[in-house]
Amino acid sequence: MASNKKYWKSVEELNQNSSIVEKLQKSEFIEDLPTDKFLGDKESLSNSDTSRRDFLKYVGFSTAVASLAACEGPVINSIPYVVKPDDVIPGIPDFYASAIADGFDFANVLVKVREGRPIKIEPNKEAANGFTNARVQASVLSLYDNNRLRGPIVKGEESDWTTLDKEVAGQLAEIKAKGGRIVFLTGTTASPSINALISSFNETYGNVDHVVYDAVSEDAALNAFEKMYGHRALPDYHFDKAEVIVSVAADFLGDWQGGNFSAGYAAGRKPKNGKMSRLIQFESNMSLTGANADKRVIAKPSEQMKVMQMLYASIVEGKSVGNATPVEDAVQKALAQIKKAGNNAVVVTGIQDENAQLLALAINHALQSQAIDVVSTKNVRMGDAAKVDQLVKDMNSGAVSALFLYNTNPAYTLPNGTAFAEGLKKVGLSVNFASIMDQTAELCQYVATAPHYLESWGDVEIKKGHYSLMQPTIHPLFNTRQFQDTLLKWTGSDQSYYDYLKGMWQTNILGGKSWNKALHDGSFKVGTGELELTLNEVNLAAASAALSNASDSEMELTVYVKTGLGDGQQANNPWLQELPDPITRTSWDNYLLISRIDAERLGVKNWTVDNGALNGDLVNVTANGVTLNNIPAYIQPGQAPGSVSIALGYGRTDLKNDMKVGVNAYPLAGAAYHEVSIQKAEGVHEFACVQLQHTIMGREEEILKETTLEDFVNKPKEEWNHAPVFSLDHQEVTQDKVDLWEPFDDTIGTKFNLSIDLATCTACAACIVACHAENNVPVVGKHEIRVSRDMHWLRVDRYYSSDMTVERGKEEGIFGSGDFFNAQTHPSDAPEVSFQPVMCQHCNHAPCETVCPVAATSHGRQGQNQMAYNRCIGTRYCANNCPYRVRRFNWFKYANNNEFDFNMNNELGRMVLNPDVVVRSRGVMEKCSFCIQKTQLTILNAKKEGRAVADGEFETACSSACPNGSLVFGDVNDKESEVAHLSEDDRTFKLLDFVGTKPNVFYQLKVKNTNEA
Amino acid sequence: MKVLLQSNSLKKILASLSFLFLLSFSISAQEGDYANGKKLFNANCAACHKLDKKLIGPALGGVTDRRDNEWLQAWIKDNNALRASGDQDAIDIFNEYNGMPMTAYPQLSEQDINDILVYTNGEPEEAPATAALTQEVDPKVAEGKKLYQVHCASCHKLDKKLIGPALGNVADRRSMEWLKAWIKDNNALRASGDQDAIDIFNEYNGMPMTAFPQLSDEDIEAIIAYTSVGDVAPAATVAGEEVIAQPRHPIPWMTYVVILAIAGLVAWIYFVSDNGFLKIAATIFVLILVGYIGLNALMDLGIDQDYQPIQPIAFSHKIHAGDNKIDCQYCHSTAKHSKHSGIPSVNVCMNCHKSIAEYNGPVTSERDKEFYDAEIQKIYDAIGWDPENLAYIEGYEQKPIQWVRIHNLPDFAYFNHAQHVTAGGIACQKCHGPVEEMEDMYQYSPLTMGWCIECHRETSVDLKGNDYYAKIHAQLADKYGVEKVTIAQIGGLECGKCHY
Repeated sequence: MASNKKYWKSVEELNQNSSIVEKLQKSEFIEDLPTDKFLGDKESLSNSDTSRRDFLKYVGFSTAVASLAACEGPVINSIPYVVKPDDVIPGIPDFYASAIADGFDFANVLVKVREGRPIKIEPNKEAANGFTNARVQASVLSLYDNNRLRGPIVKGEESDWTTLDKEVAGQLAEIKAKGGRIVFLTGTTASPSINALISSFNETYGNVDHVVYDAVSEDAALNAFEKMYGHRALPDYHFDKAEVIVSVAADFLGDWQGGNFSAGYAAGRKPKNGKMSRLIQFESNMSLTGANADKRVIAKPSEQMKVMQMLYASIVEGKSVGNATPVEDAVQKALAQIKKAGNNAVVVTGIQDENAQLLALAINHALQSQAIDVVSTKNVRMGDAAKVDQLVKDMNSGAVSALFLYNTNPAYTLPNGTAFAEGLKKVGLSVNFASIMDQTAELCQYVATAPHYLESWGDVEIKKGHYSLMQPTIHPLFNTRQFQDTLLKWTGSDQSYYDYLKGMWQTNILGGKSWNKALHDGSFKVGTGELELTLNEVNLAAASAALSNASDSEMELTVYVKTGLGDGQQANNPWLQELPDPITRTSWDNYLLISRIDAERLGVKNWTVDNGALNGDLVNVTANGVTLNNIPAYIQPGQAPGSVSIALGYGRTDLKNDMKVGVNAYPLAGAAYHEVSIQKAEGVHEFACVQLQHTIMGREEEILKETTLEDFVNKPKEEWNHAPVFSLDHQEVTQDKVDLWEPFDDTIGTKFNLSIDLATCTACAACIVACHAENNVPVVGKHEIRVSRDMHWLRVDRYYSSDMTVERGKEEGIFGSGDFFNAQTHPSDAPEVSFQPVMCQHCNHAPCETVCPVAATSHGRQGQNQMAYNRCIGTRYCANNCPYRVRRFNWFKYANNNEFDFNMNNELGRMVLNPDVVVRSRGVMEKCSFCIQKTQLTILNAKKEGRAVADGEFETACSSACPNGSLVFGDVNDKESEVAHLSEDDRTFKLLDFVGTKPNVFYQLKVKNTNEA
Repeated sequence: MKVLLQSNSLKKILASLSFLFLLSFSISAQEGDYANGKKLFNANCAACHKLDKKLIGPALGGVTDRRDNEWLQAWIKDNNALRASGDQDAIDIFNEYNGMPMTAYPQLSEQDINDILVYTNGEPEEAPATAALTQEVDPKVAEGKKLYQVHCASCHKLDKKLIGPALGNVADRRSMEWLKAWIKDNNALRASGDQDAIDIFNEYNGMPMTAFPQLSDEDIEAIIAYTSVGDVAPAATVAGEEVIAQPRHPIPWMTYVVILAIAGLVAWIYFVSDNGFLKIAATIFVLILVGYIGLNALMDLGIDQDYQPIQPIAFSHKIHAGDNKIDCQYCHSTAKHSKHSGIPSVNVCMNCHKSIAEYNGPVTSERDKEFYDAEIQKIYDAIGWDPENLAYIEGYEQKPIQWVRIHNLPDFAYFNHAQHVTAGGIACQKCHGPVEEMEDMYQYSPLTMGWCIECHRETSVDLKGNDYYAKIHAQLADKYGVEKVTIAQIGGLECGKCHY
């Protein structure tokens, strides 16, 4: 019985002697109030500066002052527009279709604008790339980044555009006169108009090159594709069409090749007619994809290369493979399934090696896989590493006269960043179109400060034929000018970029269709017709041979990107910094992931301290000729022994102090893997890890339900999704027969339910950031996270388990003993991973409501468990009584407080706040409200228009952000609604339903396709 | 902040004192109180009734002539019961108004109802009526004025150039025949080669005047007659209009006498008298008094009822919404769409004030024509309008008007105007009071949670013709066994509906 698995969240729980776990399970609030500090010691109390007399004085004074102050309220001004724009109705949001293309994330979005302020990013679901991830959701806060430059910079000094234009124009004229070489170094823009502008720049000045550089590169895949098909591009994948997916270290549920594949994958994960896709993942560090895989095979990077070679040898060359090692055995089984599935199988790889990528393309070609699309290719991540290398060499040899940088930060992201910085000094003219004084901008002579994408016009062709438009959603906050406008100016044009863009689209793209319609939709699709694809002759045998000869090192290091920070360009965004990583559940850090076996060998430890926080040893890492000192080591279950991994995007030096966390791992990037040597260093690192926080009183075994496809198809529902039974009058009855409480009459009107499908949830965390943005959830910082005071209304729990089940443990007589845990494998071996998003369950019989002494939390007829912040006096009884641990207490005033110097502590950052949701004050409890501000608005709109609410209109921030459609929100009393149908589904269960809370949130249990044949 | 008429703490204390004494001495008015009646009428009746015409319910002016007091008392307190008792009049009214029952007001006392009825009978004493203003005018001139205001006033003034020329005594300059031809079709007149017509056209930059073929000769004669006579200036400052100088809750002079007397008595007991019992009694009395006043004062903390700040422009709702009957939502146009009622932007003011540069209505000794004209000028200063040349000033740095916000709800209370105005169909006056009578705007309602809740308990949801409610209302009416469901019954008292 799969659902009898033993789950654990932290390695600490496997330690039988740990008292901390039990302590954490029993108390919602770990630390006692520090009363002992001032009451415990009589002597210090009497010597204290504040005597009792003083105390009474203060109390009296403050009472008097408070009463006096309350007599006269402040004068508040209301300042209307002088001339109100027609499209602004104060209090009503406008939505503008736009697109994000920051070089790392590409998506079609809708921007919610209130009174001229963008406050929320929603996916533009009608466009092809209308999916938002955590970073896209958070990008609205980067608009209000207090670090942004206020205007152009000339040689380190604040300046104005006239000076900058004059000086640059003068130098450009000189360069033109002597025929100097001008290079544009940009991140991937995929923008037809920018490409056109750079060519016209070439026409004006001659000798202009455009080098595209991605910090997180897909160079190997691009090169392989070019070899095979003649041009640089990335194939598109439709994982919904795949029955068998074999991935060799491709984190396609993360950001692999630009991401946005999870919706397709999720579509194949709901068992339909007894069928669903099967995902087999070979990888070294635990990625989101590996965590979601049906079978995760641990293979260190050099082994992964051999896996690719074996797959190729068998599928294309028809050779047989051995099964000597566990990995080979797994490959053999995977091969059998691939062959059985034929063109319904697909093989993908994330190995940054051209040969591996070539073989993947060859395999898919041989399979004639339906899931890969090599015709309508994608234009994201077009960076060319060879050209960048050449550029750095040219810069150092003085062959570059002018360098223009846009949307890139190579001084920080290049493995040879110092060489780049040296070369930059030899470039006659360097202009950076940055919006923040980043490490590269600091080195440039001029910063032609560019606006944020929400203040800009722009276009992007994310996929061949799929054009998108960007439009400004706010008047530029600062004295900025778009890169494109500046280019137009410097080529002597007096056209604005808007006119240029519109003209270009009307001539080249729209084909007579309406510009306004395209702008309204945010996207425009052009039929590409039948495309001829030539297949080049490639020496695949050589590639295969190269892979099979991959050198095997004792310790191999790979780099990866975390869900939150990505490539690090939004590292100054506190929402992303605070977002716990879905796998390690750690925020505000990067760290070296290491397996238990290697950690024991090196004497490296992680341990949980008394308040439940995680500490770890530091190590020094030497690889790629670079040594990084004092990197915290995090022992990651499922990490391949002999391999370590570290996340990119951290350790930027140009941020605010609170944001300067982690170490810069870019010097270790740049190859598929590096041989690495690791030494334990002195010192202890304090992680901000939430994995042991908010534990559910030891009920983890019951909280999660999952099953296998085999059981799901062949066994009755009771076996894999049994409802709890109770004894009533000595008879076993189901839950609806026993109830301590009078039932609510909730059949009239709207009743909100939220359905969460664990089969399709990939833990991408977009919902967490969406909730953060919608509900003005405060950021509390690393220290507060460490002491269990995170404020996320929505968390995604991550559970580890193994194939040792309770039943098997009982059969073998080891259940309940330490051997049982040990037999469940050491956590360093292959744990299975399950995710579960948990927010307030909006119980119909809510335990929190009955214990509130002031009735601050109460039950609404529409099913919401309502929280009246102004009524709350902060007893925290409710949080103690909540079986789901979803209530969050405002220990401090998080807005306007210098101790919490995040976005809510400056005027700019506060512009992102949602005016329909109150900012909670200190000392009150808060929690998920089912986005009552959104549901109330939907109802009001229906009332105003005199109509019933249609299904699908009700949405919460999380359900709207979910790219996979895992969260479905709606009116369960509307029997035709999707959520009503889902509530009747066989896979449906409620969290801890034996407690009798009758939640209004329900889950569909996860089905794993464990079919090995 | 200086506050006009803001009842300060002292006044509040005096008011509570006077209330106390009024209570203890039972000096209650034996007859209906006009002012109280008006207040009650506006609070309870005005949403459905007017005095002079039918609204949702019948016109109530002079209702006491039609029904006797006993019947009216019974009807207002519980019209359902009255119908149930078989009263034919009651049933007739019910049927006449499509079977829509009137809200019952059991909370109104007999005295309250008498007060309301006094109000419905009109002004108690000779009102300082507009009689002084009305004067005998030629009916033709009156007719002409009406037509002039409909057709001409947006482009012409009598005494100065607006978009078109000043029209005062135009008959002296042109013949009546020519004027008729011009007004009916000035294009045709020009086409006929009339030199005067062409000159005017050129003088005004080739901007043709709208043609008015629909005006008859008599109409035009009436208009011209009016332009010759012009407006008659208001006779004089009308006495008794100094509303603004009076405190809203007048404290009768009697109260001061009584307070002084009591204070004297207490002082006498303490300092002169030797009677120990009296001293104890006086002490208890003083303690109770202080406690009562103190508690009242504490309960009023944070309640800004009657808050009437001085605004940057002395904008008179009375002149706009009262005298000129401009609909509330013409200016507060977002109230029907949004949570905010919206303070109009200056360009909305300019819709009318482009052509209204001066005030010609009734004035008071404190606020004369110059005063109001200066206030209008403030709008022009904000947006940059040149009233001489009738044009916006190029490159003017516009200055938004910094109104002082009167109605302030705390952040944790969510209020939505559209919910009440559009979905609920509530009249603005229900919460904002008789705005059309306010020279200076003040906060009419306490805006306390108790005040919100009370209304939500009593008010029925207007469900007619709104498909959103169709199903839920039928179910709820069935559940509660009532015909009309109150807001409370559909969940309007839940904390989370307003606090999030």
